[in-house]
Amino acid sequence: MIEILGVEKNFNGNIVLRGVDLKIDRGSTCVIIGRSGCGKSVLLKHIVGILKPDKGKIIINSKDIVHLSEEDLNALRLKIGMVFQGGALFDSMTVGENVGFGLIEHNHTSDKELRETIEESLSLVGLSGIASLMPSDLSGGMKKRVALARALCIKPEIILYDEPTTGVDPISADSINELIKNLHDKLNVTSIVVTHDMKSAYRVGDKLAMLYQGKIIAQGSPNEIQKTEDPIVHQFINGLAHGPITET
Amino acid sequence: MFDNFFIIIGRHIISFLYFLGGLGNLAFKTIYFSFIPPYKKGRIFEQAKKAGLDSLPLVSLIALFIGFIFALQTAYFMQRIGSELYIASLVALSIVRELGPVITALVVAGRVGAAITAEIGSMQVTEQVDALETLAVSPMKYLVVPRFLALSLMLPLLTIYADAVGILGSYIICVFRLGISSSIYLRVTAEALFYKDLFTGLFKTIFFGMIIALVSCYEGFNVKGGAEGVGQATTRSVVFSFIMIIIADSIFTALFYFIFP
Amino acid sequence: MIFGKSKLELKVGIFVFIALAALVIFVLSIGGVKTWTLGYRVNFIFNFVNGVKYGAPVRFAGVDVGGVKDIKFYYDDKEAKTKIRINCWVHKEVNIPKDSVIWINTLGLLGEKYIEIMPGKDYKNYLAAGGELAGEDPLPMNDVLKIAKNIAGNLDTGINRVLNREGSLGKLLYDDKMYNDLDALVTDIRKNPWKLFWKTKEKK
Repeated sequence: MIEILGVEKNFNGNIVLRGVDLKIDRGSTCVIIGRSGCGKSVLLKHIVGILKPDKGKIIINSKDIVHLSEEDLNALRLKIGMVFQGGALFDSMTVGENVGFGLIEHNHTSDKELRETIEESLSLVGLSGIASLMPSDLSGGMKKRVALARALCIKPEIILYDEPTTGVDPISADSINELIKNLHDKLNVTSIVVTHDMKSAYRVGDKLAMLYQGKIIAQGSPNEIQKTEDPIVHQFINGLAHGPITET
Repeated sequence: MFDNFFIIIGRHIISFLYFLGGLGNLAFKTIYFSFIPPYKKGRIFEQAKKAGLDSLPLVSLIALFIGFIFALQTAYFMQRIGSELYIASLVALSIVRELGPVITALVVAGRVGAAITAEIGSMQVTEQVDALETLAVSPMKYLVVPRFLALSLMLPLLTIYADAVGILGSYIICVFRLGISSSIYLRVTAEALFYKDLFTGLFKTIFFGMIIALVSCYEGFNVKGGAEGVGQATTRSVVFSFIMIIIADSIFTALFYFIFP
Repeated sequence: MIFGKSKLELKVGIFVFIALAALVIFVLSIGGVKTWTLGYRVNFIFNFVNGVKYGAPVRFAGVDVGGVKDIKFYYDDKEAKTKIRINCWVHKEVNIPKDSVIWINTLGLLGEKYIEIMPGKDYKNYLAAGGELAGEDPLPMNDVLKIAKNIAGNLDTGINRVLNREGSLGKLLYDDKMYNDLDALVTDIRKNPWKLFWKTKEKK
């Protein structure tokens, strides 16, 4: 279970998060929605401990990760897979090396075992047999899937997705949504998806939470969110140019 | 107007102090991470090849021409006072004590330092640095330490090459152009140099290597914005490396001159 | 880099090897005689060393063969006097006979001080490693000047006496009688050359 309690963060006086509270149950998929630049990615980076909050607690598996030692934090990070927006594949390495990176660095498995694990992870995202290509040879959608394979390769308990469908064509986007859902069902992982793509949000989420002006202003099941009476949420989920968000 | 002037100066001083502080912090962490496992020598070798072997052609070319030019410029005056023989001593001392180390450092700062900043900078922009952290790999350990070790070990070695090639350049001019006999040239060169000259020259390049690695990694990690940010950071990295190398060189020269004469 | 071996290590190895080889060549060629050849230490005893410094050269028969390594005071019981012991490093091929003369010399009038060894003739008794030999003390510059002044003073009085027609030299130079006598003699002989062969009897 992931619990975020009163997390605040500012960058050089520019306040991004002003007290975020959110609970995500084990094995569920939570979608955090919000406008671009509202701090969704920042929140995600707090969960893996890349960023430290100014105030507040982040509790994962009943441990407050804000005050963990570097060693314990690294141990925790190996249970979390993160899929970055642009893939963030290491462009000096082949796809195979990218996918197996976590294992190569931490587990001293045999070469054969390593190759098998890499191939298995790639086949989970439907990209078998491309281990020897370079990331620059791949399309945007393929990069995202390779990034997902890299996250899967360390057999995580939690997977974080940063805008998984942004920048890919609608068909690829849908196949990624399907992938997220399938993986969740198959591997029983806790997933957190950050997106502003409402179609994707309804498709994959058990629970939706809207981040607005540094706070979670609404959360609930996709159905509840859809029927909301909050004008801000209503404007966002229906994608309207006029409304309280743009007028204040 | 004057208020404005002082504010600008003050801001520059403060930002420079931030830079020095950040650099010191990075240096401390780098040295700390150099000593904790795991030690991956493959990465150090890779950086050693990039910093050392791949810089060798350029460093050699520049050192050779510096040797040519320096011999000819010295010859202009030495011929007037009729002591061409001392060209050899003058060139040997200048190259081994000063020109070899500094020119090597500047070439490497421009060639390798800039590449490091551009590489780490674009990794930062495309979130690859964050990706390293989420995979529980310290960017410090993975990116900075190998570059730091490789540069501080490779720069003295490159300087040995630069010294040798620079003296060769001057030898070519003196022997084939000015008609000094080969054996006399070599003997005068050997007599002019002492161990002290050679080793003080090489010793400071270790620090030049550290400076290049730290400044270029620091600028790389501090890239903001996209491609333009990477470009600006690369320029800053080369400029600050040059400045820091020259400052360090003055300090070392003064130190060796006054404390270990 | 991770799958399969590359020739990276070999390349870096070659680079490092050549650089280190160049360094060794540098070191061997610039070192010359100074540190790498063998030698031994000897001591020279002086009462006065006229400012010899650490590192000053030692010359044997006019050739640089070593250098001063240490300069120390010590108390000589026999002579009840504080003396100076100069420890010198000398090239191993140089044998210093025990009757050699050692003194402190100067390059030029105000130049570097160095230790000059004029080899003796007794080539059966060498100075062994760690052996001692007394050196001839150089004259302090003051003494040199004093002596020069004395010499100059003496010359001065001599010349004055000559000028004052005192003493035999003064008389010789200033007395016309001798010149007149000689002149008369020459004239006489020209007139009467036979006088050279014939001894005239003087009238009594």
